[in-house]
Amino acid sequence: MRPGDFPAVVMATRNLRRNKLRSVLAALGIVIGVLAIATLGIFGNVLQLAALESLGGLGDQVIVSPNQDAGGESLTARDITEIQRVSEGRGTVVPLRSDGAVVSGTGGTSSFATIYGTDRPAALFSAEAGTVPERHRQGALVGSSLAEELGVQVGSLVEIAGNDYRVIAVLAPGEDISPIQPDSAIVLPESAFVPGDYDQVVVQANSGEDARTIAEEVRDRLNAREQRVSVFELSSILDQIEEFFDLLNQFLIGLGAVSLIVAGVAIFNVMLMSTTERKGEIGLLRAVGVQKRDILRTLVVEATLLGILGGFVGVLLSIGAALLLWYVSPIALDIILDPSNGVYLLVAFVFGVAVSLASGLYPAWKAANLEPVDALRD
Amino acid sequence: MSGDVSPPTAERTAVEERTAHDSEAPPLQLIGVTREYDGGGETVRALIDVDLTVEAGEFVAVMGPSGSGKSTMLNTLGLLDTPTSGEVLLDGRDVTTLDDEARTDLRKEYIGFVFQDFFLIPTLTATENVALPTVYDRDRDATARAEDLLDRVGLGDRLDHRPPELSGGQKQRVAIARALINRPEVLLADEPTGNLDTDTGRQVLGEFERICEQGVAVVAVTHDELVTEYADRTVELVDGRLEEQ
Repeated sequence: MRPGDFPAVVMATRNLRRNKLRSVLAALGIVIGVLAIATLGIFGNVLQLAALESLGGLGDQVIVSPNQDAGGESLTARDITEIQRVSEGRGTVVPLRSDGAVVSGTGGTSSFATIYGTDRPAALFSAEAGTVPERHRQGALVGSSLAEELGVQVGSLVEIAGNDYRVIAVLAPGEDISPIQPDSAIVLPESAFVPGDYDQVVVQANSGEDARTIAEEVRDRLNAREQRVSVFELSSILDQIEEFFDLLNQFLIGLGAVSLIVAGVAIFNVMLMSTTERKGEIGLLRAVGVQKRDILRTLVVEATLLGILGGFVGVLLSIGAALLLWYVSPIALDIILDPSNGVYLLVAFVFGVAVSLASGLYPAWKAANLEPVDALRD
Repeated sequence: MSGDVSPPTAERTAVEERTAHDSEAPPLQLIGVTREYDGGGETVRALIDVDLTVEAGEFVAVMGPSGSGKSTMLNTLGLLDTPTSGEVLLDGRDVTTLDDEARTDLRKEYIGFVFQDFFLIPTLTATENVALPTVYDRDRDATARAEDLLDRVGLGDRLDHRPPELSGGQKQRVAIARALINRPEVLLADEPTGNLDTDTGRQVLGEFERICEQGVAVVAVTHDELVTEYADRTVELVDGRLEEQ
């Protein structure tokens, strides 16, 4: 190979090839460091994404129920109006009645289930089969586990407290953690219940921020004089959970960084060794008219190439590790492939190269500043 | 420089012009050079008031026992070391106080080095070793020049051999070819026959004679009496002082 326009790169490659085993070992340190940072970062991030995905809906819901400690049994129409006023433009208010009853399917199987009564189920529930109507006038929406248990599907009849209802939808399994669990429940129109007050109100807010505001105002207005209602709202807890995961991630990356520092020391050592070994050669180059800066540049490029090589392999292995995580765990592929994970790959790679570069600087500087006379003497 | 057989290039023309221009001045000159070291609390005087003029095409042997200052003198001539006092002239120009960068450039342009230990890189071929001093330059015909030089020192059939496949004499001839790659005016040799047997030593010294015939000055510091047979002139260093023989 003839040195062309990048003599330092050509010389550095040539030098690294001369002791392949040593170069590979030095790069291996960086591989491990980059792998540690990237995988720990990605795993932490995946954990956070997966947790937030299952907690996600929670943050947008505000659930208002009567304060049973203060003897509250139900929410009045005035309470509902108040909540609706507060939620104006921030979310959809769904007043719910709830009860428990024995539900029988067509095959004669029966089961005890929670019965929710609402005219506006679409804001809270989604269908797996059939459709969830915007205005709920008749028929039953059956939770997925309950439908399976009773052996019913869309079009079947279910009997609740002596009345038959046609199943108009089977609800999608609830993935979110929420006090409203549709899986083993049935949703009926409000008219199926004895007219009266509501058992709880669910506000599906437009965002976590809106949920917080609604919760605050509901507390202010309904609990001004006495604790009449309890307000369940988790967006602030969600923020704390998010903060916790950020901290966890930083901690994991910190652990990874330690291994990268160790790798840096290994590169430092290798560079120092290899420049000491090549002292005579460096002296010769200096004697025949090669400038200090060319020697310096070559050695820095050597260290950087080790970093790039190690970083590249480290990134490939990290991608493999992330795919392995997907393979052995129930985590969805879209979480593994989330673009935010790529950031950790990039950060790890950049750190790997930077550490190599930094570790190579001193040995390179030392070698470049050798007096040729001294370098040639021994 | 009329005997220069390397292929004509722009650079060569420049060298010829420069030589023609400064033809009056000797290529290398030491005037009253003293070099002192701080050796463990006391001052060691390696060179004391040394005057030496090397003419173009002249082969000068510098003899002297170990510790007489031979290496210091060679390093001073080669702009690797700066004298404590006195002057170093290159083509009549005072280069004593130039900084490292300028001296490095001058070494590349004017001076070739040959060492006792050859300092060849074992993983490079003979041609690559010869072209090594040009490795950081955009010197497209360096390989052709290297091959030509190897041919001239009788290694035309060893171009792609690596140092471990060469004998001691062959290695030293590769080193000589390397010293000539940038068409120096002066070739400085440190114990060039030190690691060679007598016959091989003679071949290498014969090579120096041919180089001198082409107008390049050769200065060799040595213990080896054989060198004096080939030299035009022998000087002796005793305790840092130069004595003409």
